[in-house]
Amino acid sequence: MDTIVKNIRKEILNIAYLSKSPHVGSALSCVEILSTLYFKVLNIKKPINIDRDRFILSKAHAAMALYATLYHKGFLEKKGLYGYYQNGGTLPAHTDRFTHEYVEISAGSLGHGLPIGLGIAHAMKLQGNGSNVFVLMGDGEMQEGSIWEAAMLAPKLNLTNLTVFVDHNNLQGYGRATELVEFYPVEEKWQSFGWDTQTINGHDSNAIENATNKKSDKPKAIICKTTKGKGVSFMENELKWHYYIVTKEHLEKAINELSV
Amino acid sequence: MRNSVANLIKEKAKTDKNLFLITGDAGLGVWDTFKLEHSRQYINPGVNESLCVGMAAGMALMGHKVIYYNIAPFVIMRPYEQIRNDICYQELPVILVGTGSGVTYAPAGMTHYAVEDIGIARTMPNLNIFSPADPIEARASFEYAYSSKNPSYIRLPKSGEPTIHISQEIDITKLQIIKPGKDVLLLTHSSMIEEVQKAQTALKSENINATVATMPMLNSKDSSLLNAVRQHTHIFVCEEHFASGGLGSILIDRLNTEGVLKQVHKIAIKNKYIHAIGDRSYIRQYYGIDSKSINKSVLKALKRG
Repeated sequence: MDTIVKNIRKEILNIAYLSKSPHVGSALSCVEILSTLYFKVLNIKKPINIDRDRFILSKAHAAMALYATLYHKGFLEKKGLYGYYQNGGTLPAHTDRFTHEYVEISAGSLGHGLPIGLGIAHAMKLQGNGSNVFVLMGDGEMQEGSIWEAAMLAPKLNLTNLTVFVDHNNLQGYGRATELVEFYPVEEKWQSFGWDTQTINGHDSNAIENATNKKSDKPKAIICKTTKGKGVSFMENELKWHYYIVTKEHLEKAINELSV
Repeated sequence: MRNSVANLIKEKAKTDKNLFLITGDAGLGVWDTFKLEHSRQYINPGVNESLCVGMAAGMALMGHKVIYYNIAPFVIMRPYEQIRNDICYQELPVILVGTGSGVTYAPAGMTHYAVEDIGIARTMPNLNIFSPADPIEARASFEYAYSSKNPSYIRLPKSGEPTIHISQEIDITKLQIIKPGKDVLLLTHSSMIEEVQKAQTALKSENINATVATMPMLNSKDSSLLNAVRQHTHIFVCEEHFASGGLGSILIDRLNTEGVLKQVHKIAIKNKYIHAIGDRSYIRQYYGIDSKSINKSVLKALKRG
């Protein structure tokens, strides 16, 4: 897993450099969550299977992490990956489901993924389909009211097939989630809404896998403590890497660090 | 109209187990039997419009036919961005049914009126927009939406509107000529048909034989509307909607695109927030869109007033 994780990070940096696109810190933050899901948890195959588990990237500004993971999983061609953010290219900065069959939803505006994921999970239950839905959102995204609309309904619908990951890197666009709002206690917020809640190290693949596989009779919320810009020393926990652009020097230095 | 659509949804639900109804805690009495007979297909998530629309999108992504029902402002205004991103951008054939078009719910207040919803709906390129004038048009609108690959927005006034069509079988994509006349075309949609019909009768005594027509599918690309416009000298669009953004605006844009030079008179509500208090008839009178005002506007335009 370590090699996969490092390779995904390198690919994120490569396409961020080639495209001069922002949000590299947000993408680096959730690599273990995505790689663990795609390599160890999700029932998802090639060619694409209709009964697959659904991964919903609600924090769609981290789309580079999804694209790099799909590439390393063998679901996305190199040409497709390198057409990211280019004129006449293949993949946009925020996901568009019509650009690739493994991109489940069109997203980019925060607070949309969980209501959609809830609808998918409810439909799966109605269809007697044993598949699962995994929604990844940012910690800043928890400020969106629609999250709590869905949080209040999911336990009522008994959506035990729905899991939410909160990428808690404590750095949003212009500040820290814990300073902007009353973020803590966070586990208790989800718990009080009727969710099975865990807090884990979001960079520990085993912890992510265990938390995901935990049996529960409630929908699950997994608060993943993460570091924005993870894996690249000068990007880690730095607000500016939400929007900063990767230069050639940055890229070389970062790739060196990830090659150790 | 509301009941005719609700009954049609009930009929469909009997045979189509893939059909689901999401109501945003709305429709007192309308869904009682649906809820009893099709409990699996009835979802009331509560007072949470963003969630209702997002959830509808999620279910539609899984292949379900989903109808979201609420009063018009809570269908298309409150969760506008969810409709844009989750439904329309993702090309999901969800059917949005909004009741209380225009000032139907007067004197409920501006928050409960839908006098700019057509303008909003028009911004979404693949959204079918319907504003039926009677139960037959309402049913035909729903039938079209039900089989369409595109999402749809159906705005309805309330229940109890009279039937104006004689034939049950109408082509909803076309202009509906309710009363043929000549020279003057009175074009309308939704429950404003009653004011327009009254105005048409009154105009007769002035020797003006106006055509009354409805355009239930507001953004239909069918040529029947432009043909009718070409055949008349004076065009009036009468609508219980803001003057900017409604059918009048849609028509002017179309005429402009097609290079048809013709003046369109809008008889509609001025683009201002409504603070006047009174029932629908009062509000129509207050804003100059009732039958008498239509009559006056036509005479004035024809320089007989």
